[in-house]
Amino acid sequence: MSKYPLQFLEVPRKDPEKEAAEERIKHFGEIYGAYDGADAGAQAGRCLACGNPYCEWKCPVHNYIPNWLALVEEGKLFEAADLSHQTNSLPEICGRVCPQDRLCEGACTLEDANGAVTIGSIEKYITDTAVAQGWRPDMSNVSDTGKRVGIVGAGPAGLAAADVLARNGIRSVVFDAYPEIGGLLTYGIPPFKLEKHIVRTRREILEGMGVQFVLNTRIGDDKPFEELLDEYDAVFLGMGTYEYVRGGFPGEGLPGVVDALPYLVGNAYRELGHDESDAPYIDLQGKHVVVLGGGDTGMDCNRTAIRQGAASVTCAYRRDEENMPGSRREVANSKEEGVTFLFNRQPLEILGNETGVTGVRVIETKMGAPAPDGRRRPEPIEGSETILAADAVVIAFGFRPDPPEWFGDFGIDTLDSGRVLVRSMGAIPYQTSNPKVFAGGDMVRGSDLVVTAVHEGREAAKGIARFLGV
Amino acid sequence: MTERRVKNLLDPDLHKDSCGFGLIANLDDLPSHWVVATAIDALARLTHRGAVAADGKTGDGCGLLIKFPESFLRNVGEELGFTLNTRFAAGTVFLSRDKARGDAGRKAISKALGQFGLHVAGWREVPVDPSACGAQALATMPRIEQVFVNGRDTMPRGAFNRKLFLARRRAEKRLGDSDTYVASLSSATISYKGMVMPAALPDFYPDLRDPRMESSVCVFHQRFSTNTLPEWKLAQPFRFLAHNGEINTIRGNRNWATARAKNFVSDKLDDISDLDPIVSLTGSDSSSLDNMLEVLRAGGMDVLQAMRILIPPAWQTVDNIDPDVRAFYEFWDGQQEPWDGPAGIVLTDGHYAVCCLDRNGLRPARYVITGDRHLTVASEVGVYDYDERDVVEKGRLGPGEMLAVDLVNGTMLDNDDIHDILKSRAPYKKWLKRGVRYLDSLLIDSRMAAEPFDAETLASYQKMFNLSREELREVVAVIAKAEAEPVGSMGDDTPMAVLSQKIRSPFDYFRQQFAQVTNPPIDSLREQIVMSLQTNIGGESNLFEIGPHHAEQVIINSPVLSQAKLRQLLGPDMFGGNHTFVDLNVDENLGLEEALGQICAQVEKGVRDGNLIVMLSDRYLEKGKLPVHALLATGAVHHHLVNTGLRCDCNIIVETGVARDAHQIACLIGYGATLVYPYLVYQSLHDIAQRGNIDKQQQLGRSYRRGIRKGLFKIMSKMGISAISSYRGAQLFEIVGLGDDVVDRCFKGTTSRIQGTNFDDLWYDQKQLAQAAWEPRETIDQGGLYKYVHGGEYHCYNPDVIATLQKAVRTGEYADYEEYAKLVNQRPVATLRDLMKLKPAGDPIPLDEVEPVESILPRFDSAGMSLGALSPEAHEALAIAMNRLGARSNSGEGGEDPARYGTERMSKIKQVASGRFGVTAEYLINAEVIQIKIAQGAKPGEGGQLPGHKVNEMIATLRYAKPGVGLISPPPHHDIYSIEDLAQLIFDLKQVNPEALVSVKLVAEPGVGTIAAGVVKAYADLITISGYDGGTGASPLSSVKYAGSPWELGLSETHQVLRAQDMRHQVRLQTDGGLKTGLDVIKAAMLGAESFGFGTGPMVALGCKYLRICHLNNCATGVATQNNVLRSEYFIGLPEMVVNFFRFIAEEVRRRMAELGVAKFEDLIGRTDMLELKEGETVRQSRLDLSPILSTDGLAKDTPQFCTDPKNEPFDKGELAEEIVETCLPAIEGKTGGRFGFEIRNFNRSIGARLAGEIARRHGNHGMADAPLDILLRGTAGQSFGAWTVAGLNLTLEGDANDYVGKGMNGGRIVIRPPEDAGYIARDTAIIGNTCLYGATGGELYAAGRAGERFAVRNSGANAVIEGAGDHCCEYMTGGVVVVLGKTGVNFGAGMTGGFAYVLDVERDFVDLYNHQLIDIHRINPETMEAHLHHLRELILTHVEQTASVWGDAILEDYRSFAPKFWLVKPKAAELGSLFASLSQAA
Repeated sequence: MSKYPLQFLEVPRKDPEKEAAEERIKHFGEIYGAYDGADAGAQAGRCLACGNPYCEWKCPVHNYIPNWLALVEEGKLFEAADLSHQTNSLPEICGRVCPQDRLCEGACTLEDANGAVTIGSIEKYITDTAVAQGWRPDMSNVSDTGKRVGIVGAGPAGLAAADVLARNGIRSVVFDAYPEIGGLLTYGIPPFKLEKHIVRTRREILEGMGVQFVLNTRIGDDKPFEELLDEYDAVFLGMGTYEYVRGGFPGEGLPGVVDALPYLVGNAYRELGHDESDAPYIDLQGKHVVVLGGGDTGMDCNRTAIRQGAASVTCAYRRDEENMPGSRREVANSKEEGVTFLFNRQPLEILGNETGVTGVRVIETKMGAPAPDGRRRPEPIEGSETILAADAVVIAFGFRPDPPEWFGDFGIDTLDSGRVLVRSMGAIPYQTSNPKVFAGGDMVRGSDLVVTAVHEGREAAKGIARFLGV
Repeated sequence: MTERRVKNLLDPDLHKDSCGFGLIANLDDLPSHWVVATAIDALARLTHRGAVAADGKTGDGCGLLIKFPESFLRNVGEELGFTLNTRFAAGTVFLSRDKARGDAGRKAISKALGQFGLHVAGWREVPVDPSACGAQALATMPRIEQVFVNGRDTMPRGAFNRKLFLARRRAEKRLGDSDTYVASLSSATISYKGMVMPAALPDFYPDLRDPRMESSVCVFHQRFSTNTLPEWKLAQPFRFLAHNGEINTIRGNRNWATARAKNFVSDKLDDISDLDPIVSLTGSDSSSLDNMLEVLRAGGMDVLQAMRILIPPAWQTVDNIDPDVRAFYEFWDGQQEPWDGPAGIVLTDGHYAVCCLDRNGLRPARYVITGDRHLTVASEVGVYDYDERDVVEKGRLGPGEMLAVDLVNGTMLDNDDIHDILKSRAPYKKWLKRGVRYLDSLLIDSRMAAEPFDAETLASYQKMFNLSREELREVVAVIAKAEAEPVGSMGDDTPMAVLSQKIRSPFDYFRQQFAQVTNPPIDSLREQIVMSLQTNIGGESNLFEIGPHHAEQVIINSPVLSQAKLRQLLGPDMFGGNHTFVDLNVDENLGLEEALGQICAQVEKGVRDGNLIVMLSDRYLEKGKLPVHALLATGAVHHHLVNTGLRCDCNIIVETGVARDAHQIACLIGYGATLVYPYLVYQSLHDIAQRGNIDKQQQLGRSYRRGIRKGLFKIMSKMGISAISSYRGAQLFEIVGLGDDVVDRCFKGTTSRIQGTNFDDLWYDQKQLAQAAWEPRETIDQGGLYKYVHGGEYHCYNPDVIATLQKAVRTGEYADYEEYAKLVNQRPVATLRDLMKLKPAGDPIPLDEVEPVESILPRFDSAGMSLGALSPEAHEALAIAMNRLGARSNSGEGGEDPARYGTERMSKIKQVASGRFGVTAEYLINAEVIQIKIAQGAKPGEGGQLPGHKVNEMIATLRYAKPGVGLISPPPHHDIYSIEDLAQLIFDLKQVNPEALVSVKLVAEPGVGTIAAGVVKAYADLITISGYDGGTGASPLSSVKYAGSPWELGLSETHQVLRAQDMRHQVRLQTDGGLKTGLDVIKAAMLGAESFGFGTGPMVALGCKYLRICHLNNCATGVATQNNVLRSEYFIGLPEMVVNFFRFIAEEVRRRMAELGVAKFEDLIGRTDMLELKEGETVRQSRLDLSPILSTDGLAKDTPQFCTDPKNEPFDKGELAEEIVETCLPAIEGKTGGRFGFEIRNFNRSIGARLAGEIARRHGNHGMADAPLDILLRGTAGQSFGAWTVAGLNLTLEGDANDYVGKGMNGGRIVIRPPEDAGYIARDTAIIGNTCLYGATGGELYAAGRAGERFAVRNSGANAVIEGAGDHCCEYMTGGVVVVLGKTGVNFGAGMTGGFAYVLDVERDFVDLYNHQLIDIHRINPETMEAHLHHLRELILTHVEQTASVWGDAILEDYRSFAPKFWLVKPKAAELGSLFASLSQAA
């Protein structure tokens, strides 16, 4: 290797230019700029090419990160894009929305020495730039096997499955209830993290690979599931988790209490110019907003509220900052944009009346001993109750699976939690109890990261290929 | 099943030996008893070069080969009533003591003689005195008789001896491997040998004391064997020769001798079938060489020619060689590959008495000619007490030289005389000119592949041949870009191929053999002059009837072909375009074995049809067919051709996609390929270049071949082999994990001990690969063999393991450690021990009954990791931790800051490796253990490397080197070419520090057990057996991957051998290599270790994340770097982390001991009965047979399992050294100095070292400078004179000295001068031996005479004046000044990066003698370089003052005339003006 071994010391970690907070809160566009080739090369060249690539190890899809970093450094953009797509169906999206600080970059050897390599930004750079320059997946070696698969859900799992199936010569048709593909990528993640033209570009790429999309179509309502089973050699379910979790404390039903998902979807519909009757816009302009929850969805709500012009946004979370699940980067961005964080505050009750919310009663907590899952449990401190004044409360406690009733009719078993039961090991992974039906993503593992959904969609597609004898 | 299968790991074929040797001859062939008596005397004075058994009486064997003492034998024969003709012979025969079997032996010999028309006149029982033997020797002592044989008086002596030879071979054949052994049977010589100490030889054989026993020539030999089970017949000399050293190429030589059998056609040898096999395939290498010599001689060749053909000098790369001599060697090279290795040979056939050395000159041979016309040659000078005034000439043989006495004509023949005789025997040059053709290399073939594959085809081939993206990028492309092998760091932490759950290349089952202790590796970089890849293609024919047709050869300078060369070779101009093409792609429904059968049959037919070239090719893949792996095909074809007698009628070209790196190509050649055409590499490089990933201007194909060339040199040199022709077919590998079906069919004769993957499995792999290959959707594999890749090969130090370990040592929680230990102990099977589980000895016992952690910890050492490889912070943290634990840390080979001595930061183990960096007396006395690193698990057969960017000021100071200049340690220790040399180094170390234990670090390979036995006999106190999976700071990747065996095999073999030979109690046994947990420790103990080394584990504890970038100096964890920022800001290691690591392991050991029901650790050692084999996780794992590892077959139950002796004291008590110390001690203690005088003889070894140690212990290296001790000595000094001397120790020797003068000298002065009344010219005479000033770091040496080979090798600070030098003078020098007032040998200044030299070049040929790579030479300009003129004059002046040198005086007398004839020699990198500055810096 000819590159300079001490580049990581001489060239400090440098993220792409980030728009200043006071400017970016005025619009919903992405806040990060993009690298040019020189920046990307210099940042990629900081990689040590470790004997143990911790980034790759920690990455849920095990991207060949050091290898494509090397290709970027060498200016082999198309090769990098090819390689990047070998393990990931949506790299430009993962590059934007993955919590890299908890995954690849957090594991990077250089995290402890002068800053991790900017893996996410480079990942984004590779596909964005390659695609802009005309790169498309090379399908010249693929011949049609004649097999057809129906995919339910155009979210990350479904798209990933479609991608892998296409590369294996299996045509797929993806059904989705929304007017655009992407699922939560389009409707859940606000555009300041992921602009929607990115998803549209991905749609073009997938269509170029022979994937068909049938939108505005809810399986079970608009088209019976049975038809899918009849028309296709196999079916993949990637329907996500849309049932949101509630806190179970008084006042959750008051007007002015907003659930995160409808809030975000409504906002997305407005941004996309969709018919808002399907997903009404919830306007928090001028309001004092309290967001409950410390995950990435909470951060998305925080920052959406700021951009809507909320008078104040306060994020309350029951654990301390260290034990907060949200990406550090998003917490930092939220803070920059004016969000106030209150840690170790557990909500007890939402206060208000028919006309609206007036506040949230919270109690302070301290961190107790680790629970069996390793996370430390918050313990309320008696007598530390306070009231946070608010005229809107957003509840962002996460999502859980909501299996449709018709699963039972087709022998698709679920666990008590509602998650679909699949074979994860063995010869045909991700096969459900109905041999012809496969499933993956959040509906199998519970709500999780985009990248894990991508991983499951890909693995399920491999299972399908094997099932179909391809 | 073949006979080599043994139930345990003891293999009788693997014993090695070495020795002291010599001959005495009367130049006029006048017999005398004096010759015999003096030879015995000389032999006795070489006792220290042999080995002595515990009883003090049994030696490893010694003997004499005496020119036929005709009158004595006639007398004793006639006394017994034998009727002896004028033409009679006698033979010495060892018979069974069992009467019936003895009679049968006698009868067989008589009968065979009768069949050749010879008559037995009688059998004489040779008188012997068994009381001269030790008990071990007595137990196997044969009945020794002499057979007297009459020939017709008219029969010429030659014909008579030939008949005796044939009769003997026929009798031997009939007797098979019985206990009858004919030691000699000839009318030219007779031998007397036995398992006794040299001094006892005339006691044992009263014949030898009989004054009538008169002869003109006596060859003598004293053996040092790695085997203690006495074998009388292995004592030397053999029928012609005695050999000191080892034939590295022996396996190839034996195979080729068999293959070539039908080319030994002579009217003198009427029945060739008596000679089958031509040379013995078992027994010692020396005896096979003797066989070969016998055959050649019997066929009509004289010994001079035969020996020059068998052991040629390096002629290929030497520029100034006589063209006719070159032609002689080139001609014979096409017919006979060299028998190479360290070899000093003395021999006599009655006509000549000869001594010769191998091309490397690795064994010493000094000669003396006295006025009474006696020549004495021996391993050492001074082997009998001649009067210096009578000496006419003294000298030494140089590398590749031969010296002979023509007894018939009464003349001495020197090297040139012999060449003159040989070159004129045939018009070699003319024949070659007419016959030899060369392949044209002018054609630049930049495209590499004339018909490049399209992308899809290329991918198919890459998938079919399992070429991963990783290999393309990290190996293939790097070789082509850098013209060298890729370098990596850390070790190999992946499973052996047979254990892997991935598809692994069959090449991965092959472990390169390497030389350790009993023979040295060669430095193929610095001593390239001896290396050759020249490959001859053509037919071979009868050796005894040579003619121009023998010279019809095509010569290629490398066995790796380009496309252009391949086309020329196959084209009409070379062999008429004829060749047999054999497609390795066969119907997939065929079995692999069947396919091999078809291929062999096809080849055989082609060769019988007269095709000289056989091309095995997998180039044309086809769907529905599978390629037979080229290695399997090559091996099977080669063996098939050898067995059918056709091998020498053809040349095998392998056109293959499977060979990419040097190891793979070496495997193909090692199993018989003549040439390799790696087309897939060229295709892949072409593709890489097309995609713009490499500079297109570079000629990638050529660069790739250059890289491979270096790799092949390295692989060959690792085994000490110089010429590819000797490597070809030599099978120098150990196979780990292939089944007998495969080994017997394709690789017969290769050591393979544990079974494993069979033909079905290999064919299954091939099918899997084919499936992917023909599936366009499948991409090529990402790889994962070198670095961890998710879903790729398992890595023992994978990220999970690292993360959990680091967490545990930081928290100090045992529960966290258990997480880590679980990951390791329950990993997928990755090592042999993972297939073994513990079996309790009894019921569990309470934990508190088990010995405490504190008593287990002293069994742990940290493995040698140098300061330099590690940052000072990491190095010291490790030392502190080990010291706090009551364990020991190992300095590694980089010296140590004296400020650390005596503190908690001191390393208690001091390493002595081949670079000898910073090894001084003071360093050595600050050690509890001194470890001689013979080999390192990650790269056995190679030296350590410290890249230049890691050599900062501090490192350079400690290593006495230059900042910024990379340091590569020599592959061999230049003072260990042989087992007796190791004994000498151990003796040196025990002299300088009598309190320390000496440890020897070896690497597992077949035979390591017997080497270890030899090491015990060389008086080591500890032995470490390292596995292949040890770590490294920098090493070629192919060494990391392909050399060394698992320690489970090496350790168990060593334990078994030491127990079998009843030596286990004498030595502590340690193992290292990938040890990670308490379970590892327990299993290693059960396999025989009582001590354990850890390298990578404690590094990881200190923060190392296994980045594999140690060689780049950019270690981001600050562990393995000298970069200040990284060290100060990012190193987080603390001694406590290491302490936690080892305490955890000890605690796990305890808990497991409790479960096993064992309270004391020593009760675990050697308890293989407490291990049981587990079912494998894969089919191939289940095919393994690991029972030999656990076997205790043939071992007595009560032999000790661990060391009980406190120390392994040398037989030689060093009496003179003790006397000197006793005399001088007051002067040292009082720091008063003084003058003392002593007599010295060749067996007084290491004189000076004891004193140096005493001084350093009290005053350090420099403390006595102002009150010097002047020690005056007279006589011949033994080896290592003045070793480790320090300031204030001045040794003056009047006489001469042997090898290693001034080894490791740090200060003081050594003066050696001839006696005033000497009868020879001092400046023409050898006064000191080989390898003087090795590793010297200071001091002065003045010697009025010539030095041997490798003078001042690795000198880093001493100043010296000598009057001539052998080859490789100033090799790897990094400091100091050397003045040579006379002729030097070749390869002066190879690898020299510091210091400078002045060389007087009277004959104006120095330009051809120095190595141009790193140094340049300058005339000393009187105007600009006046300071140098003065400096030189001062040095000569001191030389004359000290030695009274006549020649020095003459130079000074006429300094103005001589000055312009001097060259100033300096490293290219050094500025002329800065030389003095660097000098004062060093001082």
